[in-house]
Amino acid sequence: MAAETPLRSHPQRGRVLPAWAFIGWRWVWRSPAAAIVPLLQPFFFLYFLHVIAPPELFPLQVAGAMLFSTQNIGSWCLSDSAVFRIELRLQDIFVASPVDKVRYLFGIAFSNLIPAMPAIVVLGIILSMVTAVSLFGWIVLIACILTIWILYSAIGIAVSSRLRSQREVWPVGNLIFTLLGILSPLYYPISRLPSGWGEIARLLPATYAALLVQGALGLEPSTNFAVDGGLLILSAAVGLVAAWWLYEWRER
Amino acid sequence: MAFRLRWAGSGVFLATEIRVQLHEWLAILTGTLTPGALIVFVAILAPELLPVTLVGALVYSMFLIGQRVLNEAAYIRIDHKLNELYHASPLSPESYFVGLAGGMLVAYLPPSLVLLGILQILHPLDAVAGLTLIVCLLAVWAVSSTIGYVVSTLFKDMKTIWPYSALLTNLFGVVPPVFYRLGSVPVGWRSVALLLPTSAAAVLVDAAAGLESLTRTEATVAAIALAGEALVLFAFGIYWARRTAREP
Repeated sequence: MAAETPLRSHPQRGRVLPAWAFIGWRWVWRSPAAAIVPLLQPFFFLYFLHVIAPPELFPLQVAGAMLFSTQNIGSWCLSDSAVFRIELRLQDIFVASPVDKVRYLFGIAFSNLIPAMPAIVVLGIILSMVTAVSLFGWIVLIACILTIWILYSAIGIAVSSRLRSQREVWPVGNLIFTLLGILSPLYYPISRLPSGWGEIARLLPATYAALLVQGALGLEPSTNFAVDGGLLILSAAVGLVAAWWLYEWRER
Repeated sequence: MAFRLRWAGSGVFLATEIRVQLHEWLAILTGTLTPGALIVFVAILAPELLPVTLVGALVYSMFLIGQRVLNEAAYIRIDHKLNELYHASPLSPESYFVGLAGGMLVAYLPPSLVLLGILQILHPLDAVAGLTLIVCLLAVWAVSSTIGYVVSTLFKDMKTIWPYSALLTNLFGVVPPVFYRLGSVPVGWRSVALLLPTSAAAVLVDAAAGLESLTRTEATVAAIALAGEALVLFAFGIYWARRTAREP
């Protein structure tokens, strides 16, 4: 009882998000490579694609790199939450604290958005330089980035909660996020995919995000915004429900 | 006698490491995903480059083995403190390094053999090209294992390692002409590409397989650079393993 009095005298709300932002920032500050690598990674791929692909696909690939970078946040969330839980035992402290699992999940996602933001902003600047982007285009792009960020972060953290060893982090993260990155047509029009593959790609939320962004930027004229937008929301909702079901907050 | 004693136990440690790694079938499988992604990109966007990309995927897979050495050596040392047990035993530090790198090579070889099989179907290699491929892949393995092992000794926590691992694989594997032809690189940068172990190996194999035309000077520079880097770096790896066997 005596211990509860000073705790209650402190504000109970409004500190979680800045605290997680600070965790994200400290990670960047302490390990500069952690800031540089996410910034460079999409550009490595872009350079490769620039060398091998027709130049007219470059604006589409820059937009795809923005979505791919956002999707990759899920992989970092997987790695971070595994370190917090398995190595540092930090999750036990959060479980025992007033922070609930939704805020913890959102906090990890938010702290991992911080190191990804510079890359996304620079890619946005490049995109505006290589193609004209309307206000509608930016709104669709930002909405798709936010949807993908929430969904793939949730998937990363949910999968991470089932891992038992740090050793599993790299292969499992690589398997899930590289496969999802390849299957969705982020770097090329969906029409280029062989038959069968295109149908599988249409089961993934990132595909609809890519179609919406490509349509909003005028790079894919046959986009049906209502259908693709609805399917993005539906597939994201299904993914979030699956992640919620998989997510293990307390150890059994 | 001293030489034999120094390398005693290498075979057993190598076998142990192979066995440990073969349990990591998921890691072995997922190791093929990044080169697989690049092969997919090429197959969709520039199918005529597919044989060059497959050679690049083989070189990249060898380089990735070194990055697995980085992760494994760090995991053994930081998470399990198991290296202290090994170093307190009669196993010498150089046997530890070579055993770790060799175990990774053997365990991660099957996906590369699959890639080689696909390459043989799309663009069959003759004996000279096959021999060039084997020598170049071993040189890349020696370079990347050393880089991986040396870098792993510089960190104190696992979380800090992955950005460096990702940076190395991208800088050596994706940016230089490993998955694409040297001819696509601006002229001013070609000499740099020939000095990098991964691109030097890829262009030598491409040239031997008739996928790329190199001048005599370019081939000589690439061959000397690759051989020199492999020998010097592997010797440095052995020296470094001895030097860092015990933490200060």
